[in-house]
Amino acid sequence: MILEPLLPKVLSVRHIPAAHPALLRSYGADPERHVSLGLVTCDQDDPTYVALDEATKHAQVDVVFAKSFYAGAAHASGPLSGEILGVIAGADPDEVGEGLAALLRCLAHDACFYAANDAGTIAVFPHVITSLGHYLSKVAGLAPGSSMAYLVAPPIEFTVALDAALKAAAVEPAQIDPPPSATNFASAFLSGAQPDCEAAAMAFAAAVVDVARRPIRPTAY
Amino acid sequence: MALRATIRGRTYRFESIKEVLAKANPPKSGDALAGIAARDAVERVAARAVLSELTLAQLRQNPVVPYEEDELTRLVEDTLDDQAYRAVQDLTVGQLREWLLETGTTGARIRAISPGLTPEMAAAVCKLMSNMDLMVVGRKCEVVVRANNTLGLPGRMSSRLQPNHPTDDVEGILYSTREGLSYGCGDAVIGVNPATDTAESTAEILRALHDLMRRNGVPTQHCVLSHITVQMRALSELRSPMDLMFQSLAGSEKANTAFGISVGLVDEAYAMMRELATTRGPNRMYFETGQGSALSSDAHHGADQVTMEARCYGFARRYKPFLVNTVVGFIGPEYLETGSQITRAGLEDHFMGKLLGLPMGCDACFTYHSAMSQDELESLKVLLGAAGCAYLMSLPVGDDIMLNYQSTSFHDIPSVRGLLESRPTPEFDAWLEAAGIMRDGRPGPRFGDAEAIR
Amino acid sequence: MSALSRTRELVAALRHELGAQDPLPPAPPLPKVEPPPVRVFPTRRTESRYAQAASAHTTALLGIGHVGTRYATDVVLQFQAELAVAHEAVGTELPDDWAARNGLLPLRTRVADHREFLLRPDLGRRLDDASLARLRSDARRGVDVQPILADGLSAVACMGSGLALLEAYTRELEARGLTVGTPMCAKFARVWLEDEIGEAVGAKVAAILLGERPGLGTGDGLSAYLVFGPRVGKTDGDRNMMSNIHARGTPPEQAGRRLAVLTRAMLDQGTSGVALDLANLAAELGEAAGTAYRAPQKRVRLVEVER
Repeated sequence: MILEPLLPKVLSVRHIPAAHPALLRSYGADPERHVSLGLVTCDQDDPTYVALDEATKHAQVDVVFAKSFYAGAAHASGPLSGEILGVIAGADPDEVGEGLAALLRCLAHDACFYAANDAGTIAVFPHVITSLGHYLSKVAGLAPGSSMAYLVAPPIEFTVALDAALKAAAVEPAQIDPPPSATNFASAFLSGAQPDCEAAAMAFAAAVVDVARRPIRPTAY
Repeated sequence: MALRATIRGRTYRFESIKEVLAKANPPKSGDALAGIAARDAVERVAARAVLSELTLAQLRQNPVVPYEEDELTRLVEDTLDDQAYRAVQDLTVGQLREWLLETGTTGARIRAISPGLTPEMAAAVCKLMSNMDLMVVGRKCEVVVRANNTLGLPGRMSSRLQPNHPTDDVEGILYSTREGLSYGCGDAVIGVNPATDTAESTAEILRALHDLMRRNGVPTQHCVLSHITVQMRALSELRSPMDLMFQSLAGSEKANTAFGISVGLVDEAYAMMRELATTRGPNRMYFETGQGSALSSDAHHGADQVTMEARCYGFARRYKPFLVNTVVGFIGPEYLETGSQITRAGLEDHFMGKLLGLPMGCDACFTYHSAMSQDELESLKVLLGAAGCAYLMSLPVGDDIMLNYQSTSFHDIPSVRGLLESRPTPEFDAWLEAAGIMRDGRPGPRFGDAEAIR
Repeated sequence: MSALSRTRELVAALRHELGAQDPLPPAPPLPKVEPPPVRVFPTRRTESRYAQAASAHTTALLGIGHVGTRYATDVVLQFQAELAVAHEAVGTELPDDWAARNGLLPLRTRVADHREFLLRPDLGRRLDDASLARLRSDARRGVDVQPILADGLSAVACMGSGLALLEAYTRELEARGLTVGTPMCAKFARVWLEDEIGEAVGAKVAAILLGERPGLGTGDGLSAYLVFGPRVGKTDGDRNMMSNIHARGTPPEQAGRRLAVLTRAMLDQGTSGVALDLANLAAELGEAAGTAYRAPQKRVRLVEVER
């Protein structure tokens, strides 16, 4: 079914209340400011980046580590690995717990890929963040609290759709990552007023569906 | 007590609670005949608005017939359950309606407060309810009674087999009875309205039905609906087998006098049945009622026919009856003129009777001079079944060849049961299955075959 | 879609726009169609052995079979025809000149028309002024019994066997040495009209013989209501009644005899209704009424269709 949500599956969630300083340091945390770590793996990476950012809006935590694994969830190192490992860190273990809860809520109810064809084999991520947290705002180079369209699709679909998105509304590219990424997708961050981000994201999704329906066009080739 | 309501700037005043009750009634030709109906739809709503704010305590303090003038009022007042009454006395009628409809208000909870309700309270809340309200609450109120079998269990719908004959020809009565049994009818009672009101013919019919039931092992009850004094003679002097004793009831002492009965007389009959009845019991009485009967003997005391009907139930519940049914369309168009009035009255009576703790059935019927069609009557039977009505009647093609009216047919009973997936009483159900009349609740190989009954 | 997610709302709207609706539950498999048998309809089943046997004892429609739990088509048509006959009987009015043409004193109640007759029984229980005056001037007074023929709910029955019943009853009364009032007939009359008439002529017993509510296929049944000491204000409990006076119930001849026995008892005991003791009369009444069904009767078949 076209544009049916492909819900992310959370594969593991662990909380280390007081982590070893060496561990903290090696995962990008600062033992001066961070004591406690929250860990999550998931079979969809981009929704997880959004969810990690969401955690920073609900609790006093920083995203210290977030990396996609090579070639995506279909080629994971184990059943719990998925496509991404995300780590949040905080001074107060309760704050980290709050952050994990917000992250899981976001994965359950908000951020997800959508099927771009009936078989569900083409996935598109046309996500609108109405208000950026301090993680993704730093990644994208935008102000916390601003709106952003977070757009992901496979290479050819992404390319056609990004063009459509950029032309659909008054948006500026904050970052464009052509293929391949670690998972062999391509992604872009577009900034603008919320209605513009929404229009761009939906134009992006519609264009991905269109490419999925008619991959070869014109048929004269 | 200001009996006043304002609708779109116009104020409606009412002189008494009795007037409020009457004008809150949906349109009925009987209330128009009595000259007590609301003038128009707006006045009717105004009366309902006033009624919705009255408390149950106020209704208890203002019975429609004064305590001093009427033994039924005294009966209700003197035997009301005080603990149950205290639980509800401060509710308004509007609040009672809502409480009855709440999901959490189960049949068991309604049964607990039922002995604290007066008939006027049941009639009052009835007037604030739509047909579907009446069905929803009526369905909740499960009243289970027992004589030779067990009536009123959930998922069960029973029927009275009514094999009336214009000259009380016993063979003719038995032919109709056998056919009715073969359609799965008769688990509430096999009840004959006699053409001749004598103890001898009552006893003769009772004996013949008793023998047929024994011969075939039919787990049901029998009854001949002659006047109660006639049945008492058949029972005490002629020692006739008698499973249930019958009487028509009305809603005031004066109206019951016209029926030739009183509380004292029915008390006596009840005591006699407890001693001599041929049923296991504990429920052994059968009563019929019907809106309009009080007015027809000018004994309504200026009250509306729904309230007078409820008062019949206040009388009936004293005797823990096995069967009570309203004969809803029998009285004629001067009381219930059209199909919609008869339908409404049937649902009202079922609701009020159940609310007051009675195993309520209904003779869904019309006389040939009322404005109800056969299709409307068939619809009413399904509505009653869906509302949890304990039993309907059953006659050959619904045609009473003695009383000349149209009721429920032998064919209607299995049809309604099929539509609503309900079954007869468990004892009767088992008998039907064993006789091959039904198979797993559906028509079996001997269904409709009267020769299966000897 | 969850209100928690702006993106999900947007995508749902986009999906709608692209013509891909919300998913429905999978369609259930279609039932297999059975090939039709050679003949669909079984043989005629409504004239059974049971129907034949029962018809010797009752006019109830028995042995009519069933299709599923419902009636066969010919039963439905017979039923509807009988219903139409009943409705026609109710709708028939007694012609204004019928009483006079048959030598009966014509009376009329306060009812204006047929619908008012159905809805206002109170008006049908009282004579209009002209009738009351005629009664007072023309009727014999101080009699033992005042019989009143009336239309009631079937003018058809009144005009049918009404005269036969009135004559039989009068003959039986006179045979018992009782004086009988002027024969009369009332239009738009209810049972309780006998109270006013009986009171006006000073009769000891009033007896109204009137058309009863029609039954299925029959509009010819009469009922009789008798009251001792008639006066306005008597109730149903004061009356004795006999119903189903017609050829298939109690025929008029027999009914006249039984009603005379009842009348005699009322005069002897000085009361009527529930107070009347019929215990010693059971045998006589039973004999008079006939406890056994007389002749085998068949319900009249009303619908015949040419094929």
